[in-house]
Amino acid sequence: MSKLLRRNLAYVPLIIWAIVILFPLYWMVITSFKLPIDINRGVSYIPWVDFVPSLHAWQDLLQGAVPIADPLRNSFLAATISSIAAVGLGGMAGYGLSRFQYRWGPWRNKDIAFWFISQRMLPPAAAILAFMIMFKYLHLLDSVAGLAIAYTGFNLPFAIWIMRDFFLALPRELEESSLVEGASWLTTFWRIVLPLSVPGLAATGILLFIFSWNEYLFASLLAFEKAKTMPVTIAGMATAIGIRWWLMSALAIVSMVPTVLLGLLLERYIVRGLTAGAIK
Amino acid sequence: MTFVPRRQSDVAPRSAVSNGQRAGTAIKGAPAGFFLNPAAILVLMLSLFPFLFSLGMTFTNWNLLYPGVDFRALENWRRLFDDETLGRAVRNTVFFTTAATILEYVLGLMLAILVLQIKRGQRFFRLIFLLPMMISPAAVGYVIGRMLFSETQGPINNILFRLGLPYVPWTSNPGVAPWTIVVADVWQWTSFMFVLLLAGLQSLPGEPFEAARVDGASNWQIFTQITFPLLVPVTVTAVLIRSLELFKLIDLVRVITAGGPGTATQTVTLYVYDLALTRGDMGYGATVAYALLIIVILYATFYLWLTRRAVEKVA
Repeated sequence: MSKLLRRNLAYVPLIIWAIVILFPLYWMVITSFKLPIDINRGVSYIPWVDFVPSLHAWQDLLQGAVPIADPLRNSFLAATISSIAAVGLGGMAGYGLSRFQYRWGPWRNKDIAFWFISQRMLPPAAAILAFMIMFKYLHLLDSVAGLAIAYTGFNLPFAIWIMRDFFLALPRELEESSLVEGASWLTTFWRIVLPLSVPGLAATGILLFIFSWNEYLFASLLAFEKAKTMPVTIAGMATAIGIRWWLMSALAIVSMVPTVLLGLLLERYIVRGLTAGAIK
Repeated sequence: MTFVPRRQSDVAPRSAVSNGQRAGTAIKGAPAGFFLNPAAILVLMLSLFPFLFSLGMTFTNWNLLYPGVDFRALENWRRLFDDETLGRAVRNTVFFTTAATILEYVLGLMLAILVLQIKRGQRFFRLIFLLPMMISPAAVGYVIGRMLFSETQGPINNILFRLGLPYVPWTSNPGVAPWTIVVADVWQWTSFMFVLLLAGLQSLPGEPFEAARVDGASNWQIFTQITFPLLVPVTVTAVLIRSLELFKLIDLVRVITAGGPGTATQTVTLYVYDLALTRGDMGYGATVAYALLIIVILYATFYLWLTRRAVEKVA
């Protein structure tokens, strides 16, 4: 009996933490079904008991009272383009760093790889002001293209780091025998290396997509109007008059759906991507 | 004939280490630069230029609100040392980084260990614990920080009230507000620690644990003498990544308290943002950003130096 109790004791903290995570999400969902008057009247917890759920926030979104089609498209384009570009370029660089000896002055492969990852350690505040000026002169301010370029730049070091680890762990016998059999290096890369690296590329790509989709700071400064993304739109529900909680909740749910679905469906890949480099 | 090389490759060990050591022998005739250069050029353009440009800005009095830019040598850098707001922002940033990293690590580790102990529902809990990472910090800031912790309309104070407990001034009291920020950050990023540590625990070898159990070691002894030491390498990486991210903290603070009340939750990155974009003081904003950069580099160097011994001791 006591053994049974002890084994099941582990569930208590796990369930508590699950509630801690789910309660805010529950709150967000019910808030999106509240009328402004329900929110102002006091705190209510259970639909149909405490308050009468209303679809008006969702109707507002569907009827375009708050434009979300453009922000969704902008977020999707910026996140997709930048993660594909970062994974492509980062995959190549990671492959190069795992297969060739580079020399940049006194720097060897290890130093070059560290230089890449150190770019991600730097506080963005130092770069952001220069970015705004650079983008202004290049006419990239408030454009999806500009945002995609910026995200590619931020994601690239991360992609290189993960993909280098991935390729270091990948046996190279297949490549060697392909070359020995007379295939060119380009054919070998295209036919042998690329197919083998699909899982690594996918894991990295998903992670970078999620990072870019959720990014707020740069988006709020580089893409404020035409190229506005979802996180910026959510924050925009806080106006001088007050925060439109019902709309903000509905928007937050809409923006969460793609990343949460990706996360749940591809959990295995995400874990693999995140843990590359951290675990040896 | 492909006979000889093939036999060699059959004998060759298939570990990552051997691949690394033999780097540069496989692909003959391939231009190595083809692989590395595009990424290197892009990173150079998108990071080296902005950082050099910002460095130049630190020596000027450039202000968006006034015309003209003059060279002011080290005036901005001297200003750093008399700036009380900056001092406060640095102390707050150090507090957020320390408190949140420790809490996230301890919680993440506990949850990872517990999840591995249960038989049913492991996948369910793993998926739920992963969720917060998938949500935009802007949304987390509004939903958790602003809605749940709202002092008059939020459910948390309401529940406290129903339980007969006093109201807590979550965001309006300078002593409490920093902890509200920490709570929001812990809510979101414990998931990250959890994922890394769970994978770390799963990759541990089984033998030491079986041996210890045969010797009759208690769970606590197993944890302190086997599990934790074996987890040191993952811990070092996870703590480094999280603390570097926390040094740059801005999203959550900007949404939840905007640095207030007063300067109680001001962070360095938020201060740069205020200086440059609200007051237009680009020169000094860039200088503060550079000061943070120097602090982070010193911290990372010291941290890596300190932890290298710990990691080497394990290996």
